[in-house]
Amino acid sequence: MDKRGISAVLSSLLLTVVAVAAMAIATSATYVITTNLRENMSERVIVEDVWFNNFTQNIDVYVRNVGEVEIYISAVYVNHTSESFNSPLSLEIGASQWLNISVNWVPSSLYYIDILTTRGTHVADYYEAP
Amino acid sequence: MLLTTMKHLRLDKRGISDVIVVMLSLVIVVIIVSNVILWSYQMNQFDWERMQENVEIVGIVSVANGTTFTFQNKGSVTVQLVSLWIDSSTIHQRYDMDLYINAGDTVNYTRDDISFVDNASIVKVTTERGNISVFTPSLQNP
Repeated sequence: MDKRGISAVLSSLLLTVVAVAAMAIATSATYVITTNLRENMSERVIVEDVWFNNFTQNIDVYVRNVGEVEIYISAVYVNHTSESFNSPLSLEIGASQWLNISVNWVPSSLYYIDILTTRGTHVADYYEAP
Repeated sequence: MLLTTMKHLRLDKRGISDVIVVMLSLVIVVIIVSNVILWSYQMNQFDWERMQENVEIVGIVSVANGTTFTFQNKGSVTVQLVSLWIDSSTIHQRYDMDLYINAGDTVNYTRDDISFVDNASIVKVTTERGNISVFTPSLQNP
């Protein structure tokens, strides 16, 4: 059996495999990076209503996703203090929902409510309790 | 002379792989950059349209079969109203709505499930792009 030239074939094959693998890794990395970038740029969330609820003593915030990607609320800060809420809370594109923040509010006080998404978008403003 | 040079170039294959690598890299870079620019443009367009929105609640009248709200679009783009809020001291009630108003138009909108808007209430509408217009009846009808 003539075995001449086998090493050349093997080396070409190996080189091809390495090149294809490298391109696949580069393409996957590019896809992941650009997807994250696109999702970060496409996030838009608004606060439709803030209700200082007398019955539950909670602060209820109605949030709506007006962006082009699903959002996940990761944290809520009231006066720069992390507060518990009805997590996990996710909003699909165009969806809206009440966000119930468990904090005992005091009438006529000013509250700085900061809502944070998993991608790092902040929606923050001052609200005065009635 | 030219023919000789062309013949040399045709036969000389050195450096071709470098050229292919550079071209492939350029293609990838162009695709990434164009995508980022396209996404950025889309969201800038969205934000620009959102800034152009200017809708106002110009009147609220109780009628026999409910309440009629009058909305005026003072902006330069068509707006879609998606929610109506009646906020009082005891409850914040949201009503789904789906109303398009062309630029410059004034539209009456009657709801038979809203029978009474208290003077102490705050009425709000939210647009699909995320703008909110607030109306306080007590300030309009002292």
